[in-house]
Amino acid sequence: MTYRVALVGAGNMGKWHAEQWGHVPGVEFVAAMDTRSNIDLSGTPVFSDWNTMIAQAKPDIIDICTPTPFHREYVERAAAAGKAIFVEKPLARTLEDCDSIMAAVGKAGVPAMPGHVVRYFPEYASAKQIVDEGGVGHPGTVRTSRMSTFPNITGRENWYADPDQSGGVILDLILHDFDWLRWTFGPVNRVFARGLFGSRHFMSALDYALVTLRFASGAVGHVTGSWAHTEGFRTTVEIAGDKGIVEHDSTRSAPLTVALRRTDCGQIGVTVPESPMRPQEDPYLKELQAFVRSLETGQTTPVTTEDAYEAARIAFAALRSIETGKAVTL
Amino acid sequence: MNTNRQSRLRIGILSFAHGHANSYAFELEQRDDVVIAGIWDADPERGAEMARRFDTIYYRSKDILLGDELDGVIIASENVHHRSLVEAAASAGVKAILCEKPLATTVPDAESMIRYCSDRGVKLATSFPCRYAPSFRSMREKVLAGEIGEILAIRGTNRGSMPGGWFVDTSLSGGGAIMDHTVHVADLMWLLLGQEAVSVYAESGNQFHHQSWDDTGLLTLTYADGVFATIDTSWCRPKGFPTSGDVTLQIIGTRGVLDLDLFGQKLVHYNDASQSDCFYWGSSLDKDMIDDFLLLCEGGSAPYLATGEDGLRAGAITSAAYAAVLLNDPVNVDAGVEQRVPAYSL
Repeated sequence: MTYRVALVGAGNMGKWHAEQWGHVPGVEFVAAMDTRSNIDLSGTPVFSDWNTMIAQAKPDIIDICTPTPFHREYVERAAAAGKAIFVEKPLARTLEDCDSIMAAVGKAGVPAMPGHVVRYFPEYASAKQIVDEGGVGHPGTVRTSRMSTFPNITGRENWYADPDQSGGVILDLILHDFDWLRWTFGPVNRVFARGLFGSRHFMSALDYALVTLRFASGAVGHVTGSWAHTEGFRTTVEIAGDKGIVEHDSTRSAPLTVALRRTDCGQIGVTVPESPMRPQEDPYLKELQAFVRSLETGQTTPVTTEDAYEAARIAFAALRSIETGKAVTL
Repeated sequence: MNTNRQSRLRIGILSFAHGHANSYAFELEQRDDVVIAGIWDADPERGAEMARRFDTIYYRSKDILLGDELDGVIIASENVHHRSLVEAAASAGVKAILCEKPLATTVPDAESMIRYCSDRGVKLATSFPCRYAPSFRSMREKVLAGEIGEILAIRGTNRGSMPGGWFVDTSLSGGGAIMDHTVHVADLMWLLLGQEAVSVYAESGNQFHHQSWDDTGLLTLTYADGVFATIDTSWCRPKGFPTSGDVTLQIIGTRGVLDLDLFGQKLVHYNDASQSDCFYWGSSLDKDMIDDFLLLCEGGSAPYLATGEDGLRAGAITSAAYAAVLLNDPVNVDAGVEQRVPAYSL
């Protein structure tokens, strides 16, 4: 059968998903829903009302790419309507909303996969494989970082800048690391964090967090999240074990660097590293393909809502640690 | 050896247990106006060998060496002996003492050493050579000039390979990776922030070498106004790793970010025979520090040289970190915690 896919929330991530859906075998991208009226998805009908979209487009899969605080509402609607669900990370802004999502999905018995796309980035997948194969021996420390400028949205309210909506770098950015770390090193027992979340600096569009994780295995994790950098996007990983080290640094692995000479007509000179992949290997495409394959075979989704729930619990523990100044035991 | 004895500074070295003594002795040798008056070492074989290497006399008795009109003494023994050797040198009436880091293994020991020296008018310095890295000094100038605005957070590392020897005999070292590697970075943070840490949280472990001592350390320091910092002190580098240790800092400011890799100036060498090797070609960190120490020995001042108080301030963070490891909770740096180094059961 061909699955009919409808997108909810056609922002940056939603538009990228829309493009990828066009390359997923066995899928027809039939509609999008967005409360804004000026969305152009190159011919795909865009609805502003949920019921109309469901009635007219008759989707089998709902792909939810709204800002975080709206995930719960649309997951509950999609689950009640018996649709298969793909929902961007984080699962929700609060643990209560996460609980409601788990309950709604469980009650409806619909397949639901959260968008923890870092598992589909080849450098992260390979690093996990090396760990799994014993390449570093017994892991002792693992450090990851994810550093960029403060996210900017043009033309409408920047919901990332509202701590109550985005949860800052902890919930929006290094949640990626929390999920990958849990996937690779197992459950986390204890979280300690310091960050700019909740400070006056966050309100001037700066966020930075340093998070310590203690894994049940005994390994110690350190996660850096930054929306305080002045340019670019950089990720790093260093896994050290009793038999070896694996390192990744996106600034050292970018195979192409484009540097443009400053011109006199107002154009500023910039240097942009690029790390292109074959379009067929785009991590977002791979996660959507894996989701559809699990629907076709009737198997559990490769990333589960339980995984997303556990990653979010680590993030909420880090936020609570920042707020209370104490370590938080999970 | 052609300058007369009266006009040359006479420096004694107590113990080569810490390998850094080699570099200090080398820097002393480069100065025409300095003589290494003698070496004492609890290990006579090592002491005699070093005396030959640096063309000086090995003393079996440190009291006789200390009684030989010394201007200054450098101490590079095992950590737990720092206190008794500093106090012996201060009793002998030298002008200045440079003690290898960590100044002491406990806060009370460090306090006692500082008091003992100040009571006798002896200047006590702590060996924190990272202060003298030109890259760090340039970074600090930018911070002090306000180029990145107000500092909000610092991420630091001082990772390395497991040093072995007495460093992993906690009856001599006072602790493992946290004892060995906390103080360098804690001191740099002090120079950048100009304020003392209020509290310390730490996780520790023994996952690399599976011994009773800590080989893993991850500290979080909190300062007034919510400024925070982390220090990774882990002995996590495997034998094949091309560099032995690192010192890195990432400083987040309201107006920008500074990234420092203090030993980043290096060549990488590959060949058929072995794994890759790195050769640090940056400036000597010890040269300017030893020159500053010699100023103290001449009776002058050296305001950038780390004092005993600086050694104490950094060491207090080590002590708080070990206390935090046992509590799984942040520990106030000034709380006078009783220091208990974790001993893992095997």
